Parts: sequence; structure tokens; C-alpha cells
Amino acid sequence: MSDQFEQMIQYIKRDVMRRPDVQLDEATPLVSSGLIDSLALVDILMKLEDVTRTRLPAGKIQPKDMDTVQLMFATAAKLGKPRK
Amino acid sequence: MSFGEFTRLADEQAQHLSLSGLRAGDSVVLVMPQGISLVAAFAGAMVLGAVPAILAYPNFKTDPVKYSQGLAGVLANLKSPLIVVDTSSTETLLLDHLPKTANTKVTRAAPLQRDEAPPLGTWRRSVPEQIAFIQHSAGTTGLQKGVALSHAAVLRQIDHLARALNITESDRIYSWLPLYHDMGLIACFVLPLVLHLHVVMQSPTSWVAQPATMMQLISDWRCSLTWVPNFALQFLARRVRIEDRAAFDLTSLRAVINCSEPVRAQSIDEFVNAYAASGLKPTVVKTSYAMAENVFAVTQSHVEGSPPRVHVDRQRLLQDGLAVGAEPESSGSTCLVSSGTLVAGQEIRVVDQNDMERQPGEVGEILVRSDCLFDGYYGRPDLSAQALRDGWYHTGDLGLQIDGELYVTGRSKDLIIVAGKNIYPHDIEHIVCQHPAIHDGRAIAFGVPNPNLGTEDIIVVAEVSREDDFLDDAKIQNALRDAIVAELDVAARAIYLKPPRWIVKSTAGKASRAATRQKLSGEHPELMAYDQSSSVGRHERPI
Repeated sequence: MSDQFEQMIQYIKRDVMRRPDVQLDEATPLVSSGLIDSLALVDILMKLEDVTRTRLPAGKIQPKDMDTVQLMFATAAKLGKPRK
Repeated sequence: MSFGEFTRLADEQAQHLSLSGLRAGDSVVLVMPQGISLVAAFAGAMVLGAVPAILAYPNFKTDPVKYSQGLAGVLANLKSPLIVVDTSSTETLLLDHLPKTANTKVTRAAPLQRDEAPPLGTWRRSVPEQIAFIQHSAGTTGLQKGVALSHAAVLRQIDHLARALNITESDRIYSWLPLYHDMGLIACFVLPLVLHLHVVMQSPTSWVAQPATMMQLISDWRCSLTWVPNFALQFLARRVRIEDRAAFDLTSLRAVINCSEPVRAQSIDEFVNAYAASGLKPTVVKTSYAMAENVFAVTQSHVEGSPPRVHVDRQRLLQDGLAVGAEPESSGSTCLVSSGTLVAGQEIRVVDQNDMERQPGEVGEILVRSDCLFDGYYGRPDLSAQALRDGWYHTGDLGLQIDGELYVTGRSKDLIIVAGKNIYPHDIEHIVCQHPAIHDGRAIAFGVPNPNLGTEDIIVVAEVSREDDFLDDAKIQNALRDAIVAELDVAARAIYLKPPRWIVKSTAGKASRAATRQKLSGEHPELMAYDQSSSVGRHERPI
């Protein structure tokens, strides 16, 4: 799991925020703290699907369910369906 | 839902609002999520002859105290006796945090009861010149300007727009646009209401989470018209999986109208190419130039074909404010997309800083006069006098005309548009300067193009009061981000903290946005590279 956390954190820093120097960990609030915009959640959701090899029902996921990397993986574990 | 059912619901809301003390002529603020209850309450207020105003709904990022303080500012300006909410949680939020000086009652909307009973008959005959509703423009909630629009102005705009778009009863509109924005309210709710067209509506939050749902709903419901800000085209092209696109049948769409953000050719082309296999017509994207102060559209591109494009020399456009033809593929050329020709009842002038007419192909500020123009900002004669002079509305937008087509090239006001939402830099700067570590008046915010999203990102640079404050750099940045998102519901892409006396001041002693931006770009080349990727000229030099 820690590898997956790290993969997501690196993706968010490098591709979403474009700030590899920023300090982030799995418990850092992202949307509620203004670090990322809710528009970026679609990219993060697609990346989360790739990392967890699942399909996620975006309609059932609220921005608050994706506010930290920890919450993202908890959401994927709860709602994700194995990818065909 | 049929029109009969909707009429019934609006009538019920009118009864409920009347029992809550609302009277004809009163203004009423609606703080509700996108849905049937909101539109029924909006219509219900008008049934009574009251004046509704829809405000943005608080979400999980919203700071309840700041939201309530801002709302109190709007209430004080509108002198509203009533706020309508949807749930007990919103009611509690407002009751807990709304300043006690706000002498306004909070009530929940009537529960929805769909039945077959006839309307209750609370309808009043409207006076054409009476205010129908109030739209709020950009700004922090407390400082938003309320644009008061009469029934006559709204109906004239709808008539003009319907003609420009050849709207018939067989049209069906799709929308995810928020109803506190003119494009969502006028084009996608009031227009179909007046013309008795079907509308398929979803909330902005559900669309952002699942962009594919827009195309699915258009496909399922055979929608023919929709309005979107420019960024949405690129968002739909890049954030819907190719395998998901195969299921859509988009042959029913006859116009996707790109409006409320600078139009970018690349975004249009990406969108059209991405959905060609789904039956999207290659000429489906149209353009429009619109604003709340004019109810909505000033221009609209022709319903047949694509809006014209011109390739011009980027440097001449930026430095001299002139559209000089250039080879399309040359490195120094930029592509401008027309926002269309004038809709009936509209006039524009393109003028220089001395209000002198610019010639075709010359950039100037766009002024608008029309038969559906607002009378002024509600309760703000000072702002109204600045914006409306001799019957002309000074838009603050820059543009030029070629062969009767309007090309919008930038803004003379330093407005930032993030995903269709207007943000004033001074609102961000005000929030940033409230932090104790930031030197008062020494913060600058501006927008840079985000080519990946087809919209703008917010950049902030601020001076700390003391060099020692750099020890808390990360902490201060986080606090500033928190404050910006809590009040404005937007994220800053980058915040740069600088030492005392770093920000460039004008001769008048005020922080200079243009010069500071240039200095920041010099120190941070990554920002410069980002800035130059724009296909639309910026506007920092005098014209």
C-alpha cells in the first residue's frame, strides 16, 4: 500500500500541481486546503483507477471522499470494481 | 417533469414564500443546490412579484463564517427580508453564523409535492419594466454586484437569442451550468422556460466528477443545444476515456455554444476531433460574447458553419493593438476565433482610452448599448455610474472587429476567469493581505493560461513583513491557500512569498500588477513558459 500511496503522491506533485518540491503526505488535505482544484479530481480519479486496477463509480464519489491520499485509497477499496 | 407540474410546484413555492412573509417587490435570496426545488422557488418568487437572486451554494470547502459574512453583505445591499434554503444543515449553518445584524429570516423551501391538482392561482401580472430578478457578478460574496434585470429586458434578450439561433419547439437544451451564472440562468433555464423547451439539467459538481455524463445525457435525451465555457471543451476531450465515447450518439446536437471565457481554437478542434466518431458535427461549436449586465448575449456566431478565424501576428497584436495577417503555421502567429456578429437590438463600439473609435482590425475596449441592457447595479449608484456612461456599458473587455465579426482579445480589467468563474485579483489580494505575516497592500494576484485545461490558473505573489517570516514559508502558504479556497472556492496554482520591498510599485506608490508580474516571470522561468503558451494575447500594455 505504501508504494501505491507514494505513486499517487508523486503523481499529484508532479502532474497535477506541477510542484515536485511541495511537501505532501498521505494525510495532507488537498481540495479543502486549496492545494488542488476540484477540476483536478477527474485526473486523480483516473490515476487512482490505474493504480488500484479498478473502475470507480465517479457519481457516487464526493470531493470530500478524495481530500487526502489516504481517503482516496479507502474510497477505492470501498467502491472500486475490479477492472475487466 | 411537464410544464404543468412545474407550474404547480412554482405555485406551491409562491404560497410558501407568501406565508413566510415575502411580498411583491421584496428581494429574496436563494441558497440551494442545483435542482427542481431551486428553480421552482425562483419561479415561485417571481409568481408573487418578488425579486429572486440565486447565490452560490456552500460546499465542504466553504468556511461557514466567511460565507455568512459575505452573505450578510449581499443581504444588506439587497435589503432582503428572506433567505430560502433547502436543508436543515444549510439553515443551521446560516443561523449559527449569519451576523445578528442581518435582519433576515431563514426559511426552508416547501417540500416537493407532485400531484395533479390545478395551480392555486397566486399568479400576479408582471409590469414589464419591473425588476424580474437579480444576477450577481464576480467578486467575493459580500462585494458582489447585483445586476437588476427587468422582465422586458429579459424577454427582449430571449426573443433576440431565439431568432439568432433559429430555435424551434423541437429543440432540447442540456446544461450543467450553475444557475447563479448568467449562462446557466438565462440560456439554460429562463430561455427554455419562456419558450417552453425541454431542458435536461445536472449539477456542476456531478458533471465535474463525471464529465462523460454530459455526453451520455445529450445522447440519451437527444439534446440539440448546449452552452459551455471554453475550458469544458478541452476537459471533455481529455477527461473522457476513448472507450466510453464510443457509446454516445451526438448526432442530435446542432450547437455547442462556447461562451464566457476567451475562445481558443485549439480547444474547439480537440473537442470536435475527440467526438467525431460519436456523430458530432464538425461545425457544431458556435461562439457568443455575453454578460449578465446585458441579460446575456451581445453577439452570436452564425448557426450554420463554424465561427470565422483569423491568423494574426502575435507581436503586432500585443504591442500595437493591431490585427496584422500572418501565415497560420508561422511561429509568430496567433489564431483569433470570432465571437460572432451582433444579435438584434445590440450595438457595440470599440474605443481607445480617450473614448475615440478604433478602426476595424484595431484593438480597443468594447462598449455595449442595447434594448436589454441593465439599468445599474442594485443599490450601488457609484458602481453604476462608473460602468454606464451615456447609455453605454463599459465592459472592460478588449476586442476588435473585422467584417462585422467581433474578436475578443483580452481584458483591460484585470479579471481572472477560472473555469468560467470570474475572479477579481483584488479580492484574492485582499484575502492574502489579511494574513499577519503579509505586508499590507503588498500582494499581487493574476491569471496565467493553463493550456492543459483551456482556462486560467491563479498565481499569487506576496511580500512578507519581516525576513524572519520565511522560516514559516510553507505554513504561511498553506494558510493563504486555505483562506483563498474558503472564501472564493478556487485554488491558487502557485503562491510565491518574497522579501520586503520586492513587489514593484507604481509612481503612485501602489503595487503594480503588470510590472510585478514581469519581475516574477523573470525570476521564475517556468511561469514565463506557461505564460507564452497562450493563443490569446494579453493586455498589459496601453492601447
